Amino acid sequence: MSSNLETGLAARAALAYWACQLLGWGINLFGQLSSAASTVGQPLATAVIEVASLNALALIFTHQLRKVVKRHEWHQLPLSSLLPRMVASSVAMALPLAILMHFMTVANMWSGSIQQIEQLPGIVSWIGAIDPLLLRTINWSAVLFLWVVLYLCITSLRDRRSVELRQSELKRALQTAELRVLKSQLNPHFLFNSLNSVRALIADDPAAAQRAVTQLARTLRYTLRSGHEELVSLERELEIVEDYLELESLRLGDRLRIERRVSVPADRTRIPVMLLQTVVENAIKHGIAELPEGGVLSIRAELRESTLIIEVENPRPAASAPATNEGVGLRNAAERLNLLFGNDAGLQLDLSSPALAVARIHIPQTT
Amino acid sequence: MKALIVDDEPLARRELRRLLADFDWIEIVGEASNINEAQKAVDTLAPELLFLDIQMPGGSGFDLLTRIEHVPRVIFTTAYDHHAVHAFEVNALDYLLKPIEPERLASALSRARDAASPAGSGNVASARVAGQSVESVERLFIRDGERCWFVPLREVCLMAAEGNYVRLHWHDARPLLARPLSSLEERLDPQRYFRANRRQIINLEFIENVELGSGGLLHVQLRGGPEVEISRRQARLFRAQMSV
Repeated sequence: MSSNLETGLAARAALAYWACQLLGWGINLFGQLSSAASTVGQPLATAVIEVASLNALALIFTHQLRKVVKRHEWHQLPLSSLLPRMVASSVAMALPLAILMHFMTVANMWSGSIQQIEQLPGIVSWIGAIDPLLLRTINWSAVLFLWVVLYLCITSLRDRRSVELRQSELKRALQTAELRVLKSQLNPHFLFNSLNSVRALIADDPAAAQRAVTQLARTLRYTLRSGHEELVSLERELEIVEDYLELESLRLGDRLRIERRVSVPADRTRIPVMLLQTVVENAIKHGIAELPEGGVLSIRAELRESTLIIEVENPRPAASAPATNEGVGLRNAAERLNLLFGNDAGLQLDLSSPALAVARIHIPQTT
Repeated sequence: MKALIVDDEPLARRELRRLLADFDWIEIVGEASNINEAQKAVDTLAPELLFLDIQMPGGSGFDLLTRIEHVPRVIFTTAYDHHAVHAFEVNALDYLLKPIEPERLASALSRARDAASPAGSGNVASARVAGQSVESVERLFIRDGERCWFVPLREVCLMAAEGNYVRLHWHDARPLLARPLSSLEERLDPQRYFRANRRQIINLEFIENVELGSGGLLHVQLRGGPEVEISRRQARLFRAQMSV
């Protein structure tokens, strides 16, 4: 989406650039022609060709200069080093034009104004009087300097606008992504099914309904808070996993059987928030909930040489090819794990046995 | 009206049962927790109304409908399924979101009753009341990509084999049914449908006119459908049956 936007903007900028170039040099051409017509009594056709080719050359020069400006990033320069470059480049482009003019019939098109220049004070009148070549150079330099000033002003204005545009674009994309993450963490399928279970329980078993509402509230609060903290104790995460599993047991009935083997000082073990929860949710959603007879969900945690090993094992439908969206939650979890702990930590989903899925997490523990 | 509840969650079935208790004209004849059970229940209990969950272990509610021979009226139920809800909406199917709102249930049920009343059409119960043959009002459920249809067979003017599938010509739609033409033919009332040639079965009620072709062939123009050629062998049968 943003690349489309950028190519669109670039195409529009290129169009605007060429329009300005042609318009600017066109105006200059007509200006020079009118002064040539008034000062030089030439056959006008020759003058037209000469002035037109001079302006075409100027256009080519400035187009080349634009490449230099872009490559050497003149926009980043402070004014103290930018100004000399602007003057030097203007003169450098003006000089060949002025020399070329020397061999043309319009060579003296500005000489008519020498009298006026002589009336000017100081150095300008002096230079103008001394050398027509210098006069032509100064004239062209002024035009080309104006070009450089205009070019830099317009492009820096445009750049600032496109930066602002890109920032707002980026912000919107970020918000969409955040929303999507939150939605996937809230697990709407689970949420609405749980609410339906609660509705059923209210009449049959009010105490169970009350417990379910509390568990649902705790699960939701934990999910919403998970945006604010990175690491939690394994103990805290396991509490939420238990709440979640009890709610799923309401839905799935005796299809969900749970086995736990945690031989870790869980209060002193740190894991990324929602990591185990995501893995367990995945095991139910794509494993046990897909099986008419259900199965045993097994959660194991142990400490091996100061590395925490967590395994979540579940049966899965035999013929299931990994669905396209199946991996997204786990992949995000694995990426987050690597961001927090580097390559020492990891999360792998082992699907090597046909009817079983095992998610293995290993996280180094500093203490 | 005999109803069957199909949902994999016991609590969801119980909740729906309680909601339905307010409607004394609904008789819940059974429950099923997956589509295999549901298929058996449909065959043995012949419900007129199906409450059908979409996401179930072992196969979805849509899968069930493509499997069963006699499709009753269906009200879909789902807690949260983006794709299914989209399918319901674009195809104007009746659905309820869980937790089910009693008011929405009431309006879905009254629609089901309207369709089942003798004034309505296309329902097994009304056909029985009117003494028509059950086959003549049978419906097919067809899922073709994102689109799905309940197609009343009597409204289909032409069925054409496409490999192992059948293309139905039904009003302006041309849904593709995932079963061979021969298996469909077994279910059809021979008084109403005629095998025109190796690949096509026509609905006799849609015949607009018949023209003689060369070499004993017949050309049949179908109302709202294409022209169909009746093969020489079948043409003799056709003349006998239609006495033309």
